Amino acid sequence: MSQAHVAAGLGVSRQTVIAIESGRYSPSLPLAFRIARFFEMPVDQMFDPQEEVGA
Amino acid sequence: MSKIRRSRFVAPVLVLAAGSIISGAVAIGHTWNDAVVAEAVTVLLSFVYFMMTKSDSDIGAVYGNRADERQMHVVLKASRNSMLVMLAIAFVGVVVTIAMNEVYWQFDILGSVGGFAYLISLLVYGTHDESANGPGNIMSGKSG
Repeated sequence: MSQAHVAAGLGVSRQTVIAIESGRYSPSLPLAFRIARFFEMPVDQMFDPQEEVGA
Repeated sequence: MSKIRRSRFVAPVLVLAAGSIISGAVAIGHTWNDAVVAEAVTVLLSFVYFMMTKSDSDIGAVYGNRADERQMHVVLKASRNSMLVMLAIAFVGVVVTIAMNEVYWQFDILGSVGGFAYLISLLVYGTHDESANGPGNIMSGKSG
């Protein structure tokens, strides 16, 4: 699955998908839920706040 | 023509309109030749803006009016930085022109109005902005 495909599915730019993947941008709550729905996963499995706290 | 394609014309048309107004002022205060040169530069600049709206980049998305939520954050940061630069220039301008015993009110107005707009914005966006709870409304399923 390409970044462009994910970006189109989420309604955001490819650059934003790259930024989220690389941890440079934390999505808003609505976008986080859209991402979770897109990948058909619970939102708390997609995003783990403990990773940032421990980093 | 789709809404997305129309939105690509907003920034170039604004540049063209602002530049044409300046060209008109040049025609009034200077010569027609100078005005023609100013308008030619304006048209060129407007074309550059239009080409930038095609770009698959943050700048292209912003100028093309298709910025997503991260790019809107980028716009906010860029706007803040540009305001700080303008205020710094206004401050330096006031100091230098006063020291040179020249007319300084242009710089004073720039700094004062910029600062006043900042205070008004704090009031407006702090208490009266209905979208202040985020870029989207999760309860209704809408997103920004």
